[in-house]
Amino acid sequence: MPKGLMIVIKQTYRNHFKSRGYWLLVLSPLIFTGITFGVTKMQGNTTPNVAVIGNPAVRQVMMKSEKGLDLKVSAITSAAAATKALDKQTLDGMLTFDTHGATLTTQPKSNKINQEAISSILGNLARTQKAAQYGLTPEQTQALVQPYQLKAVVKQADNRTTNGDNSSMTNYGMAVAIGVITLAVVMWYTSMIATEIANEKSSRIMETLLAATSSNIQYFGKIIGIFALALTHMILYLAAGTLAYIIFKNNAVVTGIAHNFSGITVGFTVYAVCFILVAVALYLVLTAIIASLVNDNSQVQQAVGPVTLLAMIGYFFSYFMTNMPNNIAIKILSYVPFISQSMMPVRLVTKVETWPAGIIALLIAIITLLILAWFGRRIYAKNVLSYSDDKIMSQLIKNIKRRD
Amino acid sequence: MIQLTELTKKFGDKIAVDHMNMSLNPGQVMGLIGQNGAGKTTTFRMILNFIAPTSGTITWNNQPITQQDKQKIGFLPEERGLYQKLTIEEQVLYFAELHGMRRSDARTALADWLKRLDVVGKATDKVQSLSKGNAQKVQMIAALIFNPELIILDEPFSGLDPVNTSIMMHEIIRMRDQGAMIIFSSHDMDNVTKISDNLTMLKKGQVILQGGVQEIREQFGRTRIYVEGPFTQTELAQLPGVDHITPQGAGFDLVVTDEAVGHDIFNYVTRNGYIPAFSQQPPTLDDIFRQEVAHNA
Repeated sequence: MPKGLMIVIKQTYRNHFKSRGYWLLVLSPLIFTGITFGVTKMQGNTTPNVAVIGNPAVRQVMMKSEKGLDLKVSAITSAAAATKALDKQTLDGMLTFDTHGATLTTQPKSNKINQEAISSILGNLARTQKAAQYGLTPEQTQALVQPYQLKAVVKQADNRTTNGDNSSMTNYGMAVAIGVITLAVVMWYTSMIATEIANEKSSRIMETLLAATSSNIQYFGKIIGIFALALTHMILYLAAGTLAYIIFKNNAVVTGIAHNFSGITVGFTVYAVCFILVAVALYLVLTAIIASLVNDNSQVQQAVGPVTLLAMIGYFFSYFMTNMPNNIAIKILSYVPFISQSMMPVRLVTKVETWPAGIIALLIAIITLLILAWFGRRIYAKNVLSYSDDKIMSQLIKNIKRRD
Repeated sequence: MIQLTELTKKFGDKIAVDHMNMSLNPGQVMGLIGQNGAGKTTTFRMILNFIAPTSGTITWNNQPITQQDKQKIGFLPEERGLYQKLTIEEQVLYFAELHGMRRSDARTALADWLKRLDVVGKATDKVQSLSKGNAQKVQMIAALIFNPELIILDEPFSGLDPVNTSIMMHEIIRMRDQGAMIIFSSHDMDNVTKISDNLTMLKKGQVILQGGVQEIREQFGRTRIYVEGPFTQTELAQLPGVDHITPQGAGFDLVVTDEAVGHDIFNYVTRNGYIPAFSQQPPTLDDIFRQEVAHNA
């Protein structure tokens, strides 16, 4: 690697890494997550306290099912005491019975009570009682109240089967994760590289820089420097995520997320990460090319706008595709660079596509990256010291058409 | 040696630089003068390979200028630009590194430069906190700290007060004495006269005058006379060969049509003996510049 290139990479990386803006960017999502978690914790015990009045049998059953019902059966058994407790807002609910059914009375500040679960358990009890009245045996009663079993299974090409619920949750999770990661990284770092180039160009620092080094070194140095920052950002989040997992591994939410992602292999993870990194590099190269056309900082958003729009297209398609995997347009878009990173990994993990297709999409993205970077250095060299009043996109089109 | 041969640059139909020839040896200062748009900055941009010449060549020791050669070029652009959020040290060290200087060496040299150029502030101060003059000095340091062999300074004195101009000129002379080749542009003819060994005057891309400063002035003859004494403007204006006369301080500036009449004028003004001042000089660069601009308009 040329020494000048290393110097530009280091300078680009160091300047941003030491800046308050970068750490605000890195830490703000973590702080936001921490605050959300803290607020949830500060809410205290949210398990509702429910008094079951006038039906000891139901009370016994509900006490045994407290965990499933996500409530605590109160020690109060009289309607008067329960009404008083509701008035004082020390009780969340009072369940009373009459010949037609049951009534759940709550107060304005009651914690949320799962009424569907209560209704279900009361329904089962009622059916059991009626079955006894009709003279059915306990086995017959059990068979009667047993819910119908519908098991969801996805048939894979390799004759393996996977649990349908878990698989669909994983798919959705993957689509969301890859889409969000790519979009966030692209939005943060394309803006960063565009501002960097626009600043050097508008303040004429670029002339001093190019007096010492070539435009190629500046171009590649900035892209690699900003890419390294994005990589650092992702590694920091990975480290924070690992630390959070170690600390909160028994937490229900963390366990749930871990369960949902349990079906994903190391090989696929490496593939998805590679795809995200190639996509980020692609977007950085594209932004560097467009940013070389701006005259000053006020045009940065004009330059970055179309790039982020492109990233958002991929993000939105990643949602649509989970519901229509065989759509021909989605199949084609899965191979289109700038968009494929949000689609192909998800199609691969859901077994809509095979590994060869996944590798081809990744290779197309890598080849596009190389061609764009090579082609872009010419546009960058030509424009980074020239200033035009034309609109950025019309300048770009002129540059693409011009061959000299 | 830097050699520009038949250097031409066209932008569409417009000729920015037209068949320019110029050479510069180590230890020499070349002043490039001309009106705005005369082709000075375009010439610098071609030497720095920012733009390619339409025709002609630029060589350094008879070889095209390579990327490695560029590391030995110190450049101060016309429009100054520094990273406002960086400190003086971060800024200068980065530029020095790009020119192949070690950071540790640059850090040591920076302290010396800051002192010599009388920069108000510390190396750890951010550039945005500096005055315009001090920021300009920092940019000058960034351009020179690595002891370049070729120095290109585009309007190095613009915006500087006389004290800072003097400091900058002193540094340019110091670098020249160390053997650097220096090309600079300026609108201030007085500064050009003081530090240039040679000058090139450009007009609409064409070289209209080139050579040693004194040599060029002498080309125009000693047609400027300053005289002080008990004379009236009317009396002097009527002398043969006097083209026009302008009161100047305690005396008069005379422009004569032929330097030979100086002898007659001297005899006339000293016919009664002592007078406080009589000086016959070639036109100043400023005069020549104005004259040539008007002549070729």
